[in-house]
Amino acid sequence: MEEKPVSPVLKVLAAFGFLFLLAPVLIVVPLSFSNDVFMSFPPSGYSLRWYIAIGANAKLLDAFLFSVKLASLVTVVNILIAVPASYALIRKAPFGADAIMSLLTAPLLLPTIVLGLALLIVMARAGYLATPQGIFLAHLVVTLPYALRVIATALSTLPIAVEEAAATLGASPLSVFFRITLPMLMPGIVAAAALSFLVSFDEVVLSLFMNGPKVTTLPVELYHHVESRADPLVAAASVLLVVFTLAVVIIVDRSLGLAKTFVK
Amino acid sequence: MIHHASTATNIAAPLGNEAKPGHGFLSLQGLSKRYSEFVAVDAVDLDVNQGEFVSLLGPSGCGKTTTLRMIAGLVQASGGRIVVAGRDLTAIPPFRRDMGLVFQSYALFPHMSVAGNIAFGLEMRGLSRSEISNRVTEAIALVRLEGRENRRPSELSGGQQQRVALARALVIRPSILLLDEPLSNLDAKLRDEMRTEIRDIQRRLGTTAIFVTHDQDEALTMSDRVVVMNHGRIEQTGTPEDLYERPRTPFVASFVGRTNRFSGTALGRSVKLGDTLVHSATEANGPADVMIRPHRITISTGSAAASGGQNTLSGIVRRMTYAGNLLQYDVLAGDLTFQVEEATLGSGRALAPGTTVTLSWSAQDTLVFEAKP
Ligand SMILES: Nc1ncnc2c1ncn2[C@@H]1O[C@H](COP(=O)(O)OP(=O)(O)OP(=O)(O)O)[C@@H](O)[C@H]1O
Ligand SMILES: [Mg+2]
Repeated sequence: MEEKPVSPVLKVLAAFGFLFLLAPVLIVVPLSFSNDVFMSFPPSGYSLRWYIAIGANAKLLDAFLFSVKLASLVTVVNILIAVPASYALIRKAPFGADAIMSLLTAPLLLPTIVLGLALLIVMARAGYLATPQGIFLAHLVVTLPYALRVIATALSTLPIAVEEAAATLGASPLSVFFRITLPMLMPGIVAAAALSFLVSFDEVVLSLFMNGPKVTTLPVELYHHVESRADPLVAAASVLLVVFTLAVVIIVDRSLGLAKTFVK
Repeated sequence: MIHHASTATNIAAPLGNEAKPGHGFLSLQGLSKRYSEFVAVDAVDLDVNQGEFVSLLGPSGCGKTTTLRMIAGLVQASGGRIVVAGRDLTAIPPFRRDMGLVFQSYALFPHMSVAGNIAFGLEMRGLSRSEISNRVTEAIALVRLEGRENRRPSELSGGQQQRVALARALVIRPSILLLDEPLSNLDAKLRDEMRTEIRDIQRRLGTTAIFVTHDQDEALTMSDRVVVMNHGRIEQTGTPEDLYERPRTPFVASFVGRTNRFSGTALGRSVKLGDTLVHSATEANGPADVMIRPHRITISTGSAAASGGQNTLSGIVRRMTYAGNLLQYDVLAGDLTFQVEEATLGSGRALAPGTTVTLSWSAQDTLVFEAKP
């Protein structure tokens, strides 16, 4: 297909759009190389001192590790729940499947603050406040809707005739699932995993509600840091986070691209 | 696939002397499918012999696919029985039915190679590696796809994908091969080739085949027997010749082959069409539908005298269409317009509109159906 020429007006508009979205990054990057003790823009001198400071900040590193572990676990459990749940709801279509799907994805529509408050009350009752279990469950509640949506959509676009063909060739429902459905669903699963990971990794509000001395995620730790001090350390951390997120997205995109070439 | 015959007799024997139909290798007995109020398939009875090639032919929505999917077990029947080789399969799930189904959309496994697709059914049957590889090689040769074993389905043309689908269904040596409009996504030339090829392979392997189509040419040229369906019911079952020469209902007469259709009043062995009286070979009385095949009418410029049993009408050519192998005329005779077809002979005789002509056909080519009240 020939690409249509893009009008200059559209180009200018697009450029402004990008500028608006990227402006924070454009300011944060120079700021992270600042040599000043306080955040000021433009910096009076440049150095790597704040990157080095991150390396020496045990609290921040602990929080980062905790966030990665939390997001990974949340992702794995999400997929383990979302794949069978979508399969049951889409393929078996029990009575009220639509209602169940709406219920499971409802947290997407609730303001996080409402959800946070509700979870705070529930977790406090259950004695899970400020525990890893508590924060894990909270993250699961907000990320599952994403995983479920993505996988359910992917599943509903798979041609059912292919699964039927496998059945007529002698494959039991279990074999059909593992040999046919699951491989064809892989791109959807990878996308859902990436989304779960990033949403969990990025989550601030719920983590603030659930956090405690042993269970502080990276965004919360950064938030606390900014509250007490105004040095450019946060800028350096932000740049590292952007790079980390970008890496995740690129890895996913690559594997998704790969998956596409062998599925389509 | 032959071993089913022996199981057939073994299993069928104790049941003993079953009366009337139900003796086919595949036997559908009062098979029905209802979707809430709507009856998609209505008490279909059909017996198919081993090695037979039977087509289900009918207009869109008449229940062909639903019937086929019930045989495969992909749709649960609402009533009736499906018996194969004496064994009642009605409640058996599809993966234990041992049938090969070729889908209109091919439904190949996109994440597997050609060889992987074909091997799948054999792997599900737990055959040994060497056995699988032998049979896959054999099947690939059968559908002439040598050298393309490692391609993905997306890297094949439509015709090649069709062949993979066929090989995949045949390699398991199914008791019955089911095909749902397998040729409808191919272009005309390839469709002709595949018709012959499917029929050849089916004959060579002796596979029993049920072929769904809405294309009457396909049904007539490929099948041992054709089942014409309409509104979920069987209109008529018979050889292609039966259906064409001896249609039992006006629907079959007009659906299979082209036809002139008039309504009139039957008076014994003749029918009054407006002011015209034509002769027929069947006894009928009262209001009737009358059909005459366009190519059974002879068109001539001379005023041929009526011979015994012959119908003769004179008329005027209103329109002439040249269709390569055929000349098609619209001829006005009295107040009736006849379509007439004549094979082109290369001699270049084409009658211009306005020519006065004589139409004649024999009495047995006048098909008369008493109109149902
Ligand atoms: N799942 C379903 N729910 C309700 N009605 C259905 C369902 N599947 C099929 N039908 C109806 O049953 C009738 C027969 O459908 P079927 O697919 O067997 O037709 P067909 O003869 O194969 O037609 P075509 O030549 O268009 O493929 C149609 O009127 C269709 O609308
Ligand atoms: Mg159909």
